[in-house]
Amino acid sequence: MSSAMASTSANLEPLFSFLAQSYTTIENGFNRVPGSAVIARYVRSSHQNDPGRTLLELVLAVFAIWTLLQSRTRADKGDRHFIQFSEKEVDELVNEWTPEPLAEPLSPQEQAELDSIPVIAGAQGPRPRLANTGKTVLNFTGTNFTGLAGNDDIKNKAIETLRKYGLGSCGPPGFYGTVDVHMDLERDLADFLGTESTILYSQGFSTVSSVIPAFAKRGDIVVADRGVNFAIQKGIQISRSTVRWFDHNDLKSLEDVLEGIAKERKKKKAPLTKMFIVTEGIFEKDGQMVDLPKLIELKYKYKYRLILDESISFGSVGRTGRGLTELFNVPVGVDRSAKQSPSHWEPQASQVDMLIGSVANGLASCGGFCAGSKYVVYHQRINSSAFVFSASMPPLLSVSASEGINILRNTPSILSTLQENVRTMRSVLDRLDCITIPSHPASAMFHIHVRSAPNATLHLPGASAGKPSNPNSIVPRDPQQFDIELEERLLQEVVEEALSQGVLITRARRLRAQEMVEARPSIRVAVSAAFSKKECEKAANVIKAALVKVLGKRR
Amino acid sequence: MPAQTPSPMAINPPSPTPSMFRKKKSSSSLGPMSTAASYLSAVRAADARARARGETPLATPALSLSSSVTASSEDTILDEGEESYSDMLTYPSVPPTSEQVYTTVHSEFGHCSNDEYKYTSQHPPGKPVKPQVEQDPPYYVLFTTYISYIILIVFGHFRDFFRKYFNPGEFKHLVPHDGYAPITSDFDSFYTRRLKTRIDDCFSYPVTGVAGRTIVLLERDSKDYNITFQPTGRKVRALNISSYNYLGFAQARGGCADAVEESIKRYGVSACGTRREGGSLDLHSQAEALVANFVGQEDSLICSMGFATNSTIIPALVSKGCLVISDELNHASIRFGVRLSGANVRMFKHNDMKDLENLLKEVISQGQPKTHRPWKKILLIVEGLFSMEGTMTNLPAIMEFKKKYKFYLFIDEAHSIGALGPHGRGVADYYGVDPRSIDILMGTFTKSFGAAGGYISGSKTVIDRLRVRSHSHAYAEAMTPPVLAQVIASMASIMGVTPALPTSTSAGTITKSRMIEPEVKEAYPGRALASSLPSWMDLPPSVRDGTEGVDRLRRITFNSRYLHRGLEKLGFIVYGHDDSPIVPLLIFHPGKMAPFHRLLRQYSTPIVIVVVAYPATPLITSRVRFCVSAAHTKEDIDTVLEACDYVGEVLDLKHGEGERWPLERITSSAVELVHMERPSRD
Ligand SMILES: Cc1ncc(COP(=O)(O)O)c(C=O)c1O
Repeated sequence: MSSAMASTSANLEPLFSFLAQSYTTIENGFNRVPGSAVIARYVRSSHQNDPGRTLLELVLAVFAIWTLLQSRTRADKGDRHFIQFSEKEVDELVNEWTPEPLAEPLSPQEQAELDSIPVIAGAQGPRPRLANTGKTVLNFTGTNFTGLAGNDDIKNKAIETLRKYGLGSCGPPGFYGTVDVHMDLERDLADFLGTESTILYSQGFSTVSSVIPAFAKRGDIVVADRGVNFAIQKGIQISRSTVRWFDHNDLKSLEDVLEGIAKERKKKKAPLTKMFIVTEGIFEKDGQMVDLPKLIELKYKYKYRLILDESISFGSVGRTGRGLTELFNVPVGVDRSAKQSPSHWEPQASQVDMLIGSVANGLASCGGFCAGSKYVVYHQRINSSAFVFSASMPPLLSVSASEGINILRNTPSILSTLQENVRTMRSVLDRLDCITIPSHPASAMFHIHVRSAPNATLHLPGASAGKPSNPNSIVPRDPQQFDIELEERLLQEVVEEALSQGVLITRARRLRAQEMVEARPSIRVAVSAAFSKKECEKAANVIKAALVKVLGKRR
Repeated sequence: MPAQTPSPMAINPPSPTPSMFRKKKSSSSLGPMSTAASYLSAVRAADARARARGETPLATPALSLSSSVTASSEDTILDEGEESYSDMLTYPSVPPTSEQVYTTVHSEFGHCSNDEYKYTSQHPPGKPVKPQVEQDPPYYVLFTTYISYIILIVFGHFRDFFRKYFNPGEFKHLVPHDGYAPITSDFDSFYTRRLKTRIDDCFSYPVTGVAGRTIVLLERDSKDYNITFQPTGRKVRALNISSYNYLGFAQARGGCADAVEESIKRYGVSACGTRREGGSLDLHSQAEALVANFVGQEDSLICSMGFATNSTIIPALVSKGCLVISDELNHASIRFGVRLSGANVRMFKHNDMKDLENLLKEVISQGQPKTHRPWKKILLIVEGLFSMEGTMTNLPAIMEFKKKYKFYLFIDEAHSIGALGPHGRGVADYYGVDPRSIDILMGTFTKSFGAAGGYISGSKTVIDRLRVRSHSHAYAEAMTPPVLAQVIASMASIMGVTPALPTSTSAGTITKSRMIEPEVKEAYPGRALASSLPSWMDLPPSVRDGTEGVDRLRRITFNSRYLHRGLEKLGFIVYGHDDSPIVPLLIFHPGKMAPFHRLLRQYSTPIVIVVVAYPATPLITSRVRFCVSAAHTKEDIDTVLEACDYVGEVLDLKHGEGERWPLERITSSAVELVHMERPSRD
């Protein structure tokens, strides 16, 4: 909505020239209309009686033209770079022009990359069957952290819903796509997290890319971690706000950046704008975990709003899977016992202003959500494009997610089993000296890097000694050095070796050359609560053996 | 197992003899029919008894021949607690004869057996495409519309001024507080607060049940002028002419729903992960192959959200140094994607081929701004059917331009796929254009297919490149199995399956006399190969032989043309193409939107509609947008026309030019109206 307004103001410039021209056109047109003379006489006499009315009518005319003008992008002939060509020259230029092909054919490496994607035949779960070999494997890929995939209660609920609601919602939420089960899930999520309100999106990945630009606009300030995931990068890009970067998961660096901005703004006497800190709970790129209490402290100190992406951590950490806020015991939401405020939208202090989670990852369904205060949610219902312009999620997936929350609430053993499984695996792999694991010990998804050759500069994550990096650039001061091609090849060998032993793992597959900074190649291991301790031990040992076999050879 | 003598299964089939709204031909399989017929008469008697007692029947027994015959009497077609419903919405006006067997629930998918009420969606071959003229309203309407907006704006500012003074608490969230800038300032949110909130009761109406031919509204009420809403607890069943349920696949019963149920049992509800990291299922490959076959392209890629199909895949196609030429009314998801891509954008006037050609000449001759270097690629993005206008893109003209100007063509078929063309394959099918000559065909499953998500299709090279480069393929959750099952089943139902008779899975229902067809790959737009569907998917015969699909395609076109022309004959200004299931009725005045919505919602047969205004449309052309479905019957469209006739009189909306007919004439000569040659309108 506001973007439409912004574009109209850009159109105001040609308006004045257009006005004069259109006045004559209008006059001519007007004279042709039957009965126009009567109106003209009327206007003239009314002007004598009441000049204010003429003003009103003038405003009206300007308004009319303004509307006609908007959203018409005209050929920008006034541009000083415009070259006047004759008709013939234009034809020649058109004939001469040869476009590049729409898409280049794949290189052999890219083809190999596509061919190595595992395809599962039949149900997804901890022990699926692979389509190409028909073998059953232990599945350490994907996002089935809580092991809800294939849960019979969920299946039954889903079928029940199907028989009542059909599959698709066939409409965006504004136009009869708000089904009661969506409102139920929104309420369930808000209750689960303890926030005032929640809004559902139909895809987890698109949630944060749409939430950020719904709030951060041109001129606003976004301070983001250098290691944020792709969706956040895209959200920041589309918001067109001013971005400052701080070192990956380094809150000292964050504080420096915030302090720097505060000083700069004071010096420039910059007007108050919206300011946001954007980071992840558990980082998708390497499994590190943010120190939430410290982050919240900084946010309050410098008066920022916090956009926290918990796509990985929601449903995988905390006693019942509520995510980081449960793990660190910080109440996200507002004090609900507070007295009824005079206004419905009274801003309430909320520790995490916009908490984004993935229903797909956390609750083994589909979609994403953003939790926050009533106003934060209300604002998105009108301004967030992925919500407004997209059909709501199928009701049966919404009910499945609600049932997922129910199960998580009532079965804390799921999360304790998950944590136990993570510990089991990490205890085997942590001590291996051919690899490094940057991830937090509690993260259900951990990454394995090839340990750099000893002669390469050793770089501990977050320990940027010496001068700070330039906050205007996402590239840190001394970026990690690694050989992408070599490491990816080695890790793929490990993946294949493990697969031959019946353990499915995968490299973290990245959009190379599209990420703002290249992530170090890694193997991403996703642990699930659906495994027994034995299976985890077995898998960890298979992965260990594969790593030793492939990487040991190299030394 | 080849066909054998009828097994006991044939007497009591798991899916009833599924000839949808067709008069059942007496075929060799007399067994199941006699059972079904006797069943029918029994339930009809039960229905009559219930009606005679004046009870609210909990189900629509005669008509709810559901997938499982035995369970149908307990069907919760009408929810308990639904207090208000109209008989017309639940029962067909003409009760089915024992000859007719419906497998649908009338409230989801209307019963219609009249072959006259069908029409093929196709551009007459060889005829030039006439530009779609949009009628302008009389000057006084324009004038008063502007006045209305001015009054609203002035009054809004007036209220803001005083409320700020007397009740600052109300503005606390709109002004800086405690050192935080407000999320939206009072100025930015002015339009929302002072204009949109006034009619917020027309938006985001909560519903329950299937978004089919009818929908159940959860009635709500506001005590604070639309800032908050409270449910009243009442449920109201209303005729639904608003959902994007073009082919009527939003169904809780029938072949597709059965396939979805089976998929949930087999696969669960989630694919758990991204396509590239362990979330790829065999179902994804099957669906992608089927989609490619359906739209007539080499390959396709599916994505779990329609919006994201555009917003995350366009950046993988174009980048800096490329130019995107975009229709000014393109969907928000396209703009989102283009903005992310970093390519330059130029817009042309909606569907104006002259403007497009001028723009093409200009951009190619001028090259990139400032440097004048030639563009790397030019991508033209248009929608097949525009969601607010009902206009259809002028594909033949664009294809001519494409030869001359060598741009790449991307068509967003979100609304046109399924809904247009004699085979339901979208605009290319409608105009008889070879789909392979179009570079990219994109579409969504949320609309015609009653599912969710979207696809993108093109040559193998392009799609493989997108598998490597598109954001959603790498990082977004994969489409879930139930959605995939719905996509496959509904698509197969539109295409038909060859061979039409299953050979192994449900051999019990096959009688000996039927020949087993060989499986031969058919050229576009042909049927789907049975082997390309999941082996467990057991589709009913009427779906497999394609009769159900063709029925749906032809019903929606009849309904679209009928509503469009009926409204015109009533004197309304209607935009868009005759064959478009999107029918916008212009109301201009912002103040008339809410009354229109409320009057229809409270009409003797409640009807839910969508009203849209600025910023989704230009400021003055506020409108009602009807989305016609194959699920509607002719009587439903009659009802809509009747209601509009009434409301149009009350609100003074009949500003259209051209010949007017009285309502009775329109409803009695619907078929004639639909088949009429369009008089050229200048
Ligand atoms: C033209 C167009 N493209 C894409 C979409 C987005 O599709 P979905 O609702 O499946 O996200 C829509 C939906 O309204 C649309 O109209």
